[in-house]
Amino acid sequence: MTEHLASFPYLSCMLLSPVAGLFILLFLKEEQRTLIRGVSLVSAGMAFALSIYTFVAYDKQLGGLQFVEKYEWVKGFGITYFVGVEGMNAPLLLLTGIVIFTGVLTMWELQDRVKEYFIFQLALVTGVFGVFMSYDLFFFFLFYEIAVVPMYILILIWGSTRKEYAAMKLTLYLMAGSGLIIPGMLLLYSSSGIATFNMVALHAVQFSPWIQKVVFVLLLLGFGVLAAVWPFHTWSPVGHVAAPTAVSMLHAGVLMKLGSFAILRVAMYLCPQGFQYWAEFMGLLAAVGIVYGVFVGLAQTDLKYVIGYSSVSHMGIVGLGLATGTVDGLNGAVFQMFAHGVMTALFFSAVGFIYDRTHTREIHELGGFSKIMPVASAFFITAALCGAGVPGMASFWAELLVLIAAVQVFPVRGLAAIAALVVGALFALRVVQNTFFNKPNPKFVHFEDVSPFLGLPRMILIGFLIFFGIFPQTMVSLIKTSIVPFIKGM
Amino acid sequence: MNVLLFGPELFYLGMALVLFFFSLQRRVQVERTYWAALGLAAAGFVVALYCLFQNGEIFFRAYKVDLFSQIFKAALALGLFLVMMISRNLAHIEPRYHAEFFFFLTTCTLGMMMLVSSVELLTIYVALELSSYSLYILVPLRKGDGLDVEAGIKYLFIGAVSSGFMLFGLGYIFGATHSTYLSEIIPRMPELLASPIGLVGLLLTLAGLFFKLSVFPFHFWAPDVYQGGANQVVTFIATASKAAAVAVILRLAMLGAKYGYSFTQALVVLSIVSMTLGNLVAIIQKDFKRMLAYSSIAHAGYVLIGVITFQELGYASAVYYALAYLVMNFTVFMVLSEVATDGQDLKIEELAGLYSRSPLLTMSLILGIFALAGVPPSIGFTGKLLLFTSAMNEGYFWLVLIGAVNGTVSLYYYLKVVYAAYFLEPRQGPLQLSWPTKALNWTLCSAILVFGVFPDGLVELARTAVRMVL
Repeated sequence: MTEHLASFPYLSCMLLSPVAGLFILLFLKEEQRTLIRGVSLVSAGMAFALSIYTFVAYDKQLGGLQFVEKYEWVKGFGITYFVGVEGMNAPLLLLTGIVIFTGVLTMWELQDRVKEYFIFQLALVTGVFGVFMSYDLFFFFLFYEIAVVPMYILILIWGSTRKEYAAMKLTLYLMAGSGLIIPGMLLLYSSSGIATFNMVALHAVQFSPWIQKVVFVLLLLGFGVLAAVWPFHTWSPVGHVAAPTAVSMLHAGVLMKLGSFAILRVAMYLCPQGFQYWAEFMGLLAAVGIVYGVFVGLAQTDLKYVIGYSSVSHMGIVGLGLATGTVDGLNGAVFQMFAHGVMTALFFSAVGFIYDRTHTREIHELGGFSKIMPVASAFFITAALCGAGVPGMASFWAELLVLIAAVQVFPVRGLAAIAALVVGALFALRVVQNTFFNKPNPKFVHFEDVSPFLGLPRMILIGFLIFFGIFPQTMVSLIKTSIVPFIKGM
Repeated sequence: MNVLLFGPELFYLGMALVLFFFSLQRRVQVERTYWAALGLAAAGFVVALYCLFQNGEIFFRAYKVDLFSQIFKAALALGLFLVMMISRNLAHIEPRYHAEFFFFLTTCTLGMMMLVSSVELLTIYVALELSSYSLYILVPLRKGDGLDVEAGIKYLFIGAVSSGFMLFGLGYIFGATHSTYLSEIIPRMPELLASPIGLVGLLLTLAGLFFKLSVFPFHFWAPDVYQGGANQVVTFIATASKAAAVAVILRLAMLGAKYGYSFTQALVVLSIVSMTLGNLVAIIQKDFKRMLAYSSIAHAGYVLIGVITFQELGYASAVYYALAYLVMNFTVFMVLSEVATDGQDLKIEELAGLYSRSPLLTMSLILGIFALAGVPPSIGFTGKLLLFTSAMNEGYFWLVLIGAVNGTVSLYYYLKVVYAAYFLEPRQGPLQLSWPTKALNWTLCSAILVFGVFPDGLVELARTAVRMVL
């Protein structure tokens, strides 16, 4: 992969702006709420702006790895600070920027322990940015863990519905995944013979087939936990339901993508033969996840559980796309990571707003909610349409690409997935009908609708969904610049 | 002879003398004793740092001063100084024993400093006993409820038994190689490969140090001593004493480097059992110090991973981890003794609402606990990953896998502490911290983060140091 050094450390700035915000927050007092929110918003906004910049300024003709920064970090162990942008992580950096920025806006009304909340949220997002931009295994894993652990505290304190159980379950599941990742990753390091954690250098090494098989399955399962690959998904709906709104947004929107991105970036990139060996298995898990997520989601009465299980099935689509190992499949998978991220963020943001007012997420209690809060309901409905794969929304193109590739490579699994998605779409519409277009619940009539300021984050999310729904080529052509060489290198 | 070669030891000898005179005073002057001890400890740290790059051999080559020993001496001096920092309020020790308390801490430090420099079997033994005897007295010094006596007796008995093992092992080694100098023993060890005497002697010798490090099966004292001893004494045992033990184990384990399978396999088993047992039993603990005791057994297992490699990187990561452990464990103990204002034993749930009682202490506690659990970007994460990396380089796949899974298990009980501190509602009023404590909090927190994110300087220093041992 060609590397183009950065003229200015854009990526480090992106990474450090939440860190800087976090340190400023440490020295503020809990009472200075407006200032705390302001600082968080500015640091999130800077990261957001930089992520847009790298997305737009990435030179598609030039290709390869751009905005590269590389410093030797620990000489004895071959650890380098190595960050860069290419076609497959630029959309995900943008996604992180979008979700953190809208997440801070969504939590604007938070009253309880505001300072601590934003500190942990900024810590978490630093980890997410770090994973997406790192090309050194050590840093990749370091950021990966940073992104996972603050969740425990975020859910525990600001969550709802069985939050203690959910927080512990989530953390232990994800750390158990790390328990598999560490040996897998270190086995690669030690058997490479070049004593470096640099992924690009490790890619050039021909690992023996059995090492690739062992490492691939360790990494697949380890990262798969975070990607909510069936049957390791059980933490995810519980966690999403318990988490506070912006954390659900970040978590379902971005964190789960860390898992699938890591499977792509580390497992498939470094162990291509391992991937060939396990691809069938991976496709099977993904297809089961899609069908399972759709059908379990149908039985839920809590809106957040509905979204939680739909996430399992949508992440299954990502997994299926990756398992095909074709250009279209991978393209679609990366696009789906982005589209699903924005969509779920919108979902949770909309539900969070409704829940903050009504303190319920039960479908039948909400009844005809669109008559009470038309705008708030519209946000949810838009997300639901996007989830159902309506054309004109970003996820339509993503799912289309994946399913075309899947039917070619795994016909039965692909068709099962399509069938499940059609059923899912049907029922998504029923959820929308029952929640928003039935008889309004008189208890909630007095609530006011979303103010323009609070509607802003949701508008931004919808804007991105529709923009990439109408101009999918901007995204696909960018992703392609890295997927084509990626497949060639496999 | 260059005095600086023996500089830190001389300083601490003098310091012990000064404190000895303080203990003779008829009129008890708690404050004055404390400030004198603290000042001297601070000066001692400076002296130890000043002598960091000394190099040489003294006392008929029984005593080797090199970067390896000097790093550990600096760490020990730092450990003593930090323990002195939290000894302002010795609630559970009678005022008239305060001077003795500081005196024995100093002699213990002196013993351990000599221990890390000793390269001759008898010197090692004598230095080890000097430090152990001081601790035998310090542990039951706490006034109170019978727990202290139980702790003191357990510590003494198990310590005496493991010393017995060690002497027996030293006897074997001496008998088989006709020398007490490590430098002469090492080349002769391969001759003993055919007979079990070398292996048995070596393992028995290590037993005395495994006791200090609380490696299975010499860990039985740890929970009771941790619970029964005064918070400050336990802090010292849990930090400085462990670091010294790691240093000597690294030196002595080199005797078995050529032994290959049988010796390393024994250590692998001890390492696995220690970390698994420690982590599993820690889960059910309610007393904070008891839990930390089991966690220290688990950490002893992690450190052994580095020892087993017998390679520069593994040794360097073991040194790094020992230093990291000193800092992170101290941070947790500092919070513990600040919260337990009257010196009582703290239940985990008594940390309830620490977030509102003292946000600063909570930050330190979280960072310390996360570092112990191996969560980035802390010094504990980096240390653990370096240990695992070097073990994997030597092909210990299963050891690393078990270690990594253990990390997950341990997270559960560490999170219970976080849970109590962050989630439960406070039952007591806010805690007031003095400014030195505040400064200490900030320093420790930044140390945990800075050395976790920028480990290179420390790793390079450790690598240079372990080359002296290998």
